Parts: sequence; C-alpha cells; structure tokens
Amino acid sequence: MKNKALTFAAQGIAAAILFMASGMKFFGSADTVAIFQALGMEPAGRFLIAFIEMGAALLLISPFAASGAALAVSVMCGAIIAHCTQIGMVVDDDGGMHMLLLVAVFLASLYVLIARRKELPIIGGTL
Amino acid sequence: MKSTLDVDLEAASRTANIGIVVLFGLFAAAGHFVSFYFHFFTVACFLLVLVNLYWRHFQTEHTLLANFGFLAQIRYLVESVGPEFRQYLFASDTEERPFNRVDRAQVYRKAKGIDSSSAFGTLLPYDQDEIKLRHSFYPADQNQLEPFDVVVGAARGLATAHHIKRPLMISAMSFGALGEHAVRALARGAALSGATMNTGEGGYPKHHLEEGCDLTFQLGTAKFGVRTEDGRLDDAKLAALAAHEQIKMVEIKFSQGAKPGKGGLLPKEKITEEIAELRGVPLGKDVISPSHHVECTDAASTVAFIGHVQEVCGLPTGIKFCLGRPDEFRELVREMKRQDIVPDFITVDGGEGGTGAAPKSFMDELGLPLFEALPLVQTILVEEGVRDRLKLFASGKLISAGKQLQAMSMGADAVYSARGFLLALGCIQALMCNRNSCPVGITTHEAHLQQGLDIEEKSQRVANYIKAIHHEHEELLAATGQHAARDLTPVNLYVPDQVRS
Repeated sequence: MKNKALTFAAQGIAAAILFMASGMKFFGSADTVAIFQALGMEPAGRFLIAFIEMGAALLLISPFAASGAALAVSVMCGAIIAHCTQIGMVVDDDGGMHMLLLVAVFLASLYVLIARRKELPIIGGTL
Repeated sequence: MKSTLDVDLEAASRTANIGIVVLFGLFAAAGHFVSFYFHFFTVACFLLVLVNLYWRHFQTEHTLLANFGFLAQIRYLVESVGPEFRQYLFASDTEERPFNRVDRAQVYRKAKGIDSSSAFGTLLPYDQDEIKLRHSFYPADQNQLEPFDVVVGAARGLATAHHIKRPLMISAMSFGALGEHAVRALARGAALSGATMNTGEGGYPKHHLEEGCDLTFQLGTAKFGVRTEDGRLDDAKLAALAAHEQIKMVEIKFSQGAKPGKGGLLPKEKITEEIAELRGVPLGKDVISPSHHVECTDAASTVAFIGHVQEVCGLPTGIKFCLGRPDEFRELVREMKRQDIVPDFITVDGGEGGTGAAPKSFMDELGLPLFEALPLVQTILVEEGVRDRLKLFASGKLISAGKQLQAMSMGADAVYSARGFLLALGCIQALMCNRNSCPVGITTHEAHLQQGLDIEEKSQRVANYIKAIHHEHEELLAATGQHAARDLTPVNLYVPDQVRS
C-alpha cells in the first residue's frame, strides 16, 4: 500500500514537471530555445521533444504509466547526455535548476518504471 | 547430426548481443560529432543494452533469454500472437476447438437471420464414428407437428407449473461471468422469443429481471443472493425471490461441466462493486464457491435439501449436475423414492460444457461427456420408475439443432446452451472469458468494451437464434417421422458400433 502510494506520487511529480517542461518548449521560452540552438535542433527538435514529453506525462497519469515512465526515462537520458556533453550543468544562470528538475524526473520515472515494469507491453512478462 | 539452423541462431544472437553495444558506441559518437538527433538511437540502444544485460545475467526465470539475449524475445512475441494467426490464417474450417469455424458460422448465420444452407457436401468428416439422427421413410407433415410444450412441475400438481415453449433455453451464466450488456441482451432476446433463461449462480438477478423474460433462478453452492452470513440458505430471501413473477423455476446446482467437483470461481478482476453487493462478497478477492452445498453431505441430506427448497420456494425445483459415478446417482434416486421427494427436473451437464473459469485439469479431465451421461441418467430414472415424475434437460456443446435433437432422442425433454448464445451475441472465441478483457464486450465489465455490444441489436440476434433453432428442430423432427419431440427415442439415432462399444 505504501509502495503504491509512493509510485503514484512519483508518477504525479514526473508528470507535473514534464507538463511544465513541454509547455515551455511549445511556447518557446528563451532558455529552451537557447538550449536547442546549442544542440542544433531548433525549432524542430524542440517541438519533437515537447510532443514526446507531453505524451510521457499523459501516459504517466493513465493506466499505461509503465510505458509513460519508459518514455520519460528515455527522454531524460537524452537530456542528461545533452547537459553532460554540450550544454553544461548550469543553463542561463539558473543555479542548476534545469539539471535538478531533470534529475528529479529521471529518478521519479525510473522508480515508476521499476515498480511497474511487469505492466510494460510485450517485454513486461520477462522483467 | 549438427543442425545448421541451431548454429545460425546461436551465432546470430551472439552477434546481436555484441552488435547493440557497438551500435550504442557508434550512435553516441554520431550524436556528439554529427548531429544530436543521433542520440535518439543512442538512448534506445543504451536501454536495450541494460535490459539485455538483465536478461542474460541477472534473471533466472527465462532460459532462452539467459542463453540468447534479446533475440529470444522474438520467440515470445511470435508465440503470443500464435492463437490469432492460427485462428485467422492457418487453422482449417473444421479444426478449431472448442467450436470450429463451421460450427460458429452456423450460429452466426442463424443469429443474423441469413440463409444458413450450404452447398457441395458436408465439411465434416462424415464417416462411421459420428452419431446421426435417423430419418424415416415416411416423414411427418411439418404443419401437423404438435407445438412444443414441456410442463415442469405438473407431476407434483403445482399451480406454478412452468410451460417451456421453446426447446432451447439459455443456460446458466451469471451476471459476473457476463457483463451487464450481455445479460440484458440475452434476457431481452429470451423475452422476445418466449424462451426460458437460467440466471446462473450470480446472486440477485437484477439485470435479468429488467427485461421481462421467464427465469430459472440458479441456486449455487455459495447461495449467492439467498445466503445467510455463514453461507447457508436464507429461506426468507429465497421465498421473497421466488415470489417474483418472472422467476418460474429454481435450479439447485450441484456441479457443472466446466469443473465438476469444484465450486464456481469468479476472478477478482471481474468483481465490481455492484457484483459484490448482489452476491454479498468482498471486493478485490477471487470469489470461490464451495465444492458442495454445506447442507448436502450424503444422499439423504441431499434429497432432504431438495425437498426443503421445493417447499420454501413453491416453484418447480430441479437439480443440475455433471455426472461422475452412475452408482452414486442411482443411490440418490433411490433415496428420492424413499423420502418421496423428486426434483421437478434434472439438468445433465456434459463434461465438455463450460463457459466458467476453471482449472485446466478440471476442464479437461473430469466429468462424463453428455452423450455418455445422458443415456445413463435416463436409464437409471426409467429403471427406478421416477422418469415420469420429472423432466430431463441436457447441456454441453449443444449449439446445433441436430445435436440437440440427438440429446432429445437420448431422453432430454429440452436442452440448454450457453456458448451457443455467446456466439449469437457475437463471441469470436477469443478464449479470454476469465480475464475481463473480452474483445466483444460479453464476458467483461469494462465499460469501453461493453459499449460496442448494443443490447437492442444483439437481443434481436438472440431471439433469431432461438427461433431459427426451433424451426430447424421442427424440420428435423418431421424428417424423423415423429410428431412431437417427446416421441423421439434412441430408435431415432444411428450410433456407430465403434461408439457404442
């Protein structure tokens, strides 16, 4: 019961941050535009990632939370690669806020993914 | 001898396991030096490498995955879609079980009210090991047949004796096993056609009662709907239920073909708040009925219980069982004579029957088949001199008029079918009845799956099926030269020697 509550909380946290992040990308906030310019993916990549983040967030609060978590973990892996290789830990003097939110979504989604791994389509039964 | 295929698969899996690590490195480099878009593939490969590591070195449950890695998933994938491929592409029209395509198509056509004649000969193996009906040199005039009318309870002189006007009745399937739409479509179809419907052992028949058809209330071993807190019969509740105008008969279920010797099972996935309330059971737990009525521990107590139910409900009251040992049944009949209590009807369920969720061994290995059990029961009833005091019903894969008339030639007065009606409702034999995920919305409580099952449309199909079966009964009956179904005897059957022996 406790684990279930924790899983739901993790889903909620990850989904909330993802909604916010995808919204910022959709509306083209200055720092997201700067990030995707640095990655050479502006604007197509920004919209693509925004779509994926929105999808992951919606799945996380649906009965298909395991798939949402897998999607979220994948996107966050990409974001970690971006921060580690090209952008750096601090974006636009935010004191590492971007990185902190990223890690929060990554850990929360990873927890949901592990807790709900059996619910994943196709491979769930073997995990 | 070395198999080339084995070597290739091993080599392929080794290459694939190393290949995804190499690909991961290549994509990472491309993502860094060429375009960040390549990191989409980097991430995918990275996750696949992690999962593959887990499959190969940490899990112990799946040998193939441990030995070969992610390529072994192909086997699980292909295996999982096997039933659909076999059903749609590879299985012939007469191969599938429990009902092949020919059997199913026959019901679909009757239910849709379209021509069910066929051409160029039978598709079935028409050889010497099939029981057949015998036709007569002198067929009866179909217009001269006696209308079908089986009166249950007349032998006891009951004022509440029930007239069964259709030879095919809807067999016991509870609300719980079926969803609300399916129950209401069946009940409405029964009302439209004048057939009698069995409620199954699912408790108070709220949805059955909504449609106005004649009902047989089934009293299961858990006595859902009429139970006391400790699982015994609550006389007051049964009397109140029996007073309902639509409840015409009561059937005490001792066993069923799907799992003789075991109680009913309703998986927790299918228990909604409404079902829990109607049955008086908790949510979130499989509901397992006892394997027998607590009141019935031997022949004497069983007969006494039947008498008690007859007295409390005041309706024609019968019993249902799947035959196990004929000697036990004979002892039961003798006890009936000793106590002068005879059920108003007996339903013999063949071991091949079964819409219920059941352990596979019970489904496959227990219970006499109907065409073995029915003649035994008929013989014992005749030999013990009680056959004229009760009516005999038969059930167990009786979805065609031919098989039903064969059962009636073996002694049945009327027949039951459950799966025939599921097919009439649009069942595609997905074999998911126990998972609450029935794709055609019949054996599920999921609203999104039930929404496709239109009650009005499907109730018409149920009525069509009942009427078409009745019409075919009359045609076949006329061909046998008889004027009433009750005149059918084993003389009207061809039983091949190898079956007889």
